[in-house]
Amino acid sequence: MRDELIRRALVSIPQLLLMSFITFLFIDLAPGDILAKYRFDPRISTETVKQIEEKYHFDKPVLVQYGHWLWRTINLDLGYSFSREAEVTGVIAERLFNTFLLSFFSIIFTWLIAIPLGIYAAVKQYSWGDRILSAISYFGMSLPSFFLALLLMFLVYAGRDLPFVSSIPIGGMISPGYENMSTSGKILDRAAHMVLPVIILTIGALAGLQRISRGNMLEELRKQYIVTARAKGLPEHKVVYGHALRNAINPLITLFGFEFSSLLSGAALLEIIVNWPGLGSLMLAAVRAQDTFLVMGSMLMGGVMLIIGNLISDILLVIADPRVRKA
Amino acid sequence: MRIISVALMVIVQIAIFSGCQKGAPENRIQKETDAVSGINYAALQEKAAAFVPSIGKSGGEIVLSTFSDPKSFNPITSTENTTTEFTSYIFEGLVKANGVTLLPEPNMADTWSVSNDGLVWNFHLRPGVKWSDGVPFSAYDVEFTFNDLIYNPAIKPNSSRDIFLVDGKKIDVKAIDSSNVRFTLPFPYAPFLRTMSQEILPRHKYSKIVKSGKFTTTLGIQTDPATIVGTGPFLLDSYVSSQKVVFKRNPLYWKTDSAGNKLPYLDRVVYTIVADQNAELLQFKRGEVDYLMAKGEDFPGLKKDEQTSTYTVYRLGPATGSNFLFFNMNTGRDQSGKPYVDNVKLSWFTNTNFRKAIAHALDKQNMIRIVMNGLGYPQWSPMTPSEGFFYNDKTTQYSYDMQKAKEILANEGFSDKNGDGIIDDKDGNTVEFSFVTNSGNNVRGKIAEIIRKDLEALGMKIHYQQLEFNSLVQKIDNPPYEWDAILMGLTGGVEPHFGKNVWHSSGGLHMWFPRQQNPATDWERKIDSLFDTGVKEVDTEKRKIIYDQWQQIVSDQLPMIYTVLPERILCISNKFGNLNPSLNGGLLHNLEYIYIK
Amino acid sequence: MKLFKNNRAATKFFRHPLVWPGLIVLAILYLIMFFAEFIAPYDFDNGNRENSYQPPSRIHFIHDGRFSLRPFVYPYSFGFNDFFERVYVEDRTKPTPLSFFVKGDKVKLWGIIPISRHLFGTKSEKNSVRFYLLGADAVGRDLFSRILYGSRVSLTIGFLGVAITAILGFLAGGISGFYGGKTDWLIMRFAECFMLVPSFFLMLALRSAFPMKLSSTQVYLLIVVILSLIGWAGFARVIRGMALSISKRDFVTAARALGASDFRIIFQHILPQTLSYAIVSMTLTIPGYILGESALSLIGLGIQDPQASWGNLLSAAMNVSDIQYHPWILIPGLFIFLVVMAFNFVGDGLRDALDPNR
Repeated sequence: MRDELIRRALVSIPQLLLMSFITFLFIDLAPGDILAKYRFDPRISTETVKQIEEKYHFDKPVLVQYGHWLWRTINLDLGYSFSREAEVTGVIAERLFNTFLLSFFSIIFTWLIAIPLGIYAAVKQYSWGDRILSAISYFGMSLPSFFLALLLMFLVYAGRDLPFVSSIPIGGMISPGYENMSTSGKILDRAAHMVLPVIILTIGALAGLQRISRGNMLEELRKQYIVTARAKGLPEHKVVYGHALRNAINPLITLFGFEFSSLLSGAALLEIIVNWPGLGSLMLAAVRAQDTFLVMGSMLMGGVMLIIGNLISDILLVIADPRVRKA
Repeated sequence: MRIISVALMVIVQIAIFSGCQKGAPENRIQKETDAVSGINYAALQEKAAAFVPSIGKSGGEIVLSTFSDPKSFNPITSTENTTTEFTSYIFEGLVKANGVTLLPEPNMADTWSVSNDGLVWNFHLRPGVKWSDGVPFSAYDVEFTFNDLIYNPAIKPNSSRDIFLVDGKKIDVKAIDSSNVRFTLPFPYAPFLRTMSQEILPRHKYSKIVKSGKFTTTLGIQTDPATIVGTGPFLLDSYVSSQKVVFKRNPLYWKTDSAGNKLPYLDRVVYTIVADQNAELLQFKRGEVDYLMAKGEDFPGLKKDEQTSTYTVYRLGPATGSNFLFFNMNTGRDQSGKPYVDNVKLSWFTNTNFRKAIAHALDKQNMIRIVMNGLGYPQWSPMTPSEGFFYNDKTTQYSYDMQKAKEILANEGFSDKNGDGIIDDKDGNTVEFSFVTNSGNNVRGKIAEIIRKDLEALGMKIHYQQLEFNSLVQKIDNPPYEWDAILMGLTGGVEPHFGKNVWHSSGGLHMWFPRQQNPATDWERKIDSLFDTGVKEVDTEKRKIIYDQWQQIVSDQLPMIYTVLPERILCISNKFGNLNPSLNGGLLHNLEYIYIK
Repeated sequence: MKLFKNNRAATKFFRHPLVWPGLIVLAILYLIMFFAEFIAPYDFDNGNRENSYQPPSRIHFIHDGRFSLRPFVYPYSFGFNDFFERVYVEDRTKPTPLSFFVKGDKVKLWGIIPISRHLFGTKSEKNSVRFYLLGADAVGRDLFSRILYGSRVSLTIGFLGVAITAILGFLAGGISGFYGGKTDWLIMRFAECFMLVPSFFLMLALRSAFPMKLSSTQVYLLIVVILSLIGWAGFARVIRGMALSISKRDFVTAARALGASDFRIIFQHILPQTLSYAIVSMTLTIPGYILGESALSLIGLGIQDPQASWGNLLSAAMNVSDIQYHPWILIPGLFIFLVVMAFNFVGDGLRDALDPNR
């Protein structure tokens, strides 16, 4: 099993690089001169421009350029961001953690809430509770996250004088007085800023997961061994939680990878709207400025985060499902 | 589920219809044609001029917000406004412009004299001024700043050099002794005194660095704040990327209040970096940020809550800067002989009446109403009222008159000759061109939308798009000058000569036709000579006449068609004392006197 | 090649409680999209600045104390009060009747058929008095009309994207599943590449490869391509799985023995077996594509003004002050929500009906 995991992880790397190559190709074929800003700035000498050109091999064919980019990337140098005048690696490192934070907490809350709700809905199938949950599910799944974000931002703004609402910030990651806060104050401040984005992300992911876990639970509960267990006189809660649940969860873990991917995408989009300084808002700025290295670096990082997420889900699956372990 | 969505729609409709009640005629409508009518700016300015600061007490901080990170802390090499805003806390000049009158006043120099021919200036430095590390400030620092930094060809980019090259010649800067500096000008340079607000850097910190050639990378954003030494009221305390820039009081600052207490009163100036306007607005309303430059559409929300909350909203007249439309009038050719602008388009763009017709077609009133929520002013000249003395308020104005615009065009031979709804010129060419503005600026983008529609209403076919700012600037400044019509903006200035790069036909920022060998038109020649004489004319009244003429020519020839200016709306928390709102300086021009009541 | 393998599946589909509402909503939306130019009272770019941000027009039946059977509206204008809040005033001296089939802006249905009559509107000279069903935007354009024109983009981009995704997915999945072995390994690893980068990041990266300066048609096609590239891999994977197992069935062996070409086997025998899954999958992918285009346009990388798409209409609502004073600018979001929900209903219904397990 371990070998399988390692093999999967190793294969992912060239795949990611292939993706980067395709994108690199596109970007390179695109018209426009990345160094234009420098070339035409009378204050910057032509020698300096030539130096930059040589350093990044802009004058060579695409394959060579890509090769150099690849080599630098493996050495953890993601190039230079011309729009921000700083090293790409540094710029991304700052932001990576922020996007990860949002996705991480969203996944935790999503799972913590969706699975119990799914169980409840399955156990009490066709009850009013189930129907309402089903309605809310459809609602949550179909509501565009950006629309929800606008609505909630506005509601928080409109209710800014209300007791609880007044401590919810809109946008940004920390408050102006952050530096002066105590450690616990700082943690609270960051948490407060995460409230809106995490709620929005969780609602979106929650609905889908709830329905799937309900569906899985229902399937499990119909199976033969459940009937047997009941016939043997096992108490209901043991049947549900001890047996059905364990089996129902497995398919969910396999979904973890997809879920993480869609959460990362959702977080990236949301960051732009609530102005959370993460990878998504960074990438948008990079695209607008047509800053190739920064775009490639961000895309790569998104991919790396996903690979790590997939790995975690594979590991979780191994832990949870003995059948996989044996294979 | 279906019910829920339908219910939602119904609720929304009800909300909207009930919201309609606010439109009932009972609300008074203010005369919205001119935002100026509500405020007496002359009285405001009188009051500001008569203001005497009270004695304040030390302590506290003010929290401001800014949109982007500084790119460096180096006043010599920086070209961005954010950077110079920050460095102006730390580094000062011999002279400083008064925040109300805009006139240069003694700062680190306490007296000066000028020879009769206007060429030799002697500045006596204020005694007792020290750098923040205790080293006394001296004339050698001034000499160093000019001779080793500003005039140093090895230091690039160098934003100040242009201003200090008069007709391409350097000013001779010599320290007579530690308290006196002599400047010898090649000719009487009228704006000279104003340029003495140039930041002075410490010789003892940087002379070695300059010799080793590392000055351009010094004072970057990674610099340890403790090593940045200045004479200004505040010093850099810390900088956290994407989050904040903090300044702390300079204990050795030379200025004192009338009772001899050391200034500034405030302990700290904190800038939070907020890229999101919604967040900024909310943070201000919650008191997390003390000061806000508000947009027109935010004004109602802010003003209505003013009475019940702890801040005050000030309207301070038209902001500085500009938004203007201009056309490519470049008659040059590339190396293969191909003209940069094809002859057909050139014939339209260089036709003054074509531009005048367009000026009549710009719906400025609605730009103000729609884009600025009524809080704006039409602009008719390259200078604005808040830029003070040299502003010419009598330049030609163009009424919004589609009829007239079409008549002018018709007289020039423009009409729809083939019935396709687009006008053609007298030779039958369809009037079709591209119109670009920079992305990332909401206000300018919205103004551009209105202009696009106005141009289309004239029957022209417009290809509109937004380009990223740097790409756009690069297109404007360099071959092959691939653009037709652009809406852009420039920051303003009190001293017209500092805009020479834009107005002189040889200038690199002469937007519609940069770096001409010889002026392409008579009026450009005239403007050239106005700038050439104006810079040497020492008599201010005579200078005013010269620069009035310049503005008049611009408004008659319309190389840049000005649009509208937003109102400067500044909001500040009520906890501060010694606030002196001024048309020209805003609210923070006397920051060293501001204290917490 | 029947969609529903038997009548039971069909009955199940139509009996599913959510399918009918979903189908009806979709039918209505697509109908009004089809006739957008006719149903919209105004052209998408025709704004009256005097009516900037006008709230939805109030419909009256009583004028000067007299009841009128025919509904009418008054012209609005606006000014500012002391707080510079906009104050909209109806001019009660000019009742303008509403009616159906009025003459209005000259537009072309689908850009081809010129029409000048619209489903409803005001009878007034040159549109001087306007009827804003859902309010106006900043430059006085009718939001309802723009939503209708925007539906052309938002409702078609999903289908086109899914069509390309299907082609790519069928090709890759079919070939991969049929041949197996190294071909399968290679194709699947290649497909997985596309799934390794979260969709948003891939979308932005691909968009950045093209200049910002593109015409509306170009942007539209570009978005279609980008969207389809994002979704094809997942689809291909499943088709491949199904093709793999179908290839092992007897009738395939028989076909091979009879000398049928590989091509024929894949396209005429194997892939049709995957059809019911394919249709379910595509129906459930369309909402994702609609959301993808909306997101791109919302952040300014998609359809640009003056063209309308529901996403770029929402970008005007990113400011809390604007939402506070002109809440109707949020309505395009409701439309997105409706269409996504409708597709989800129908897709779920299809899946329940066609899934042999349930």
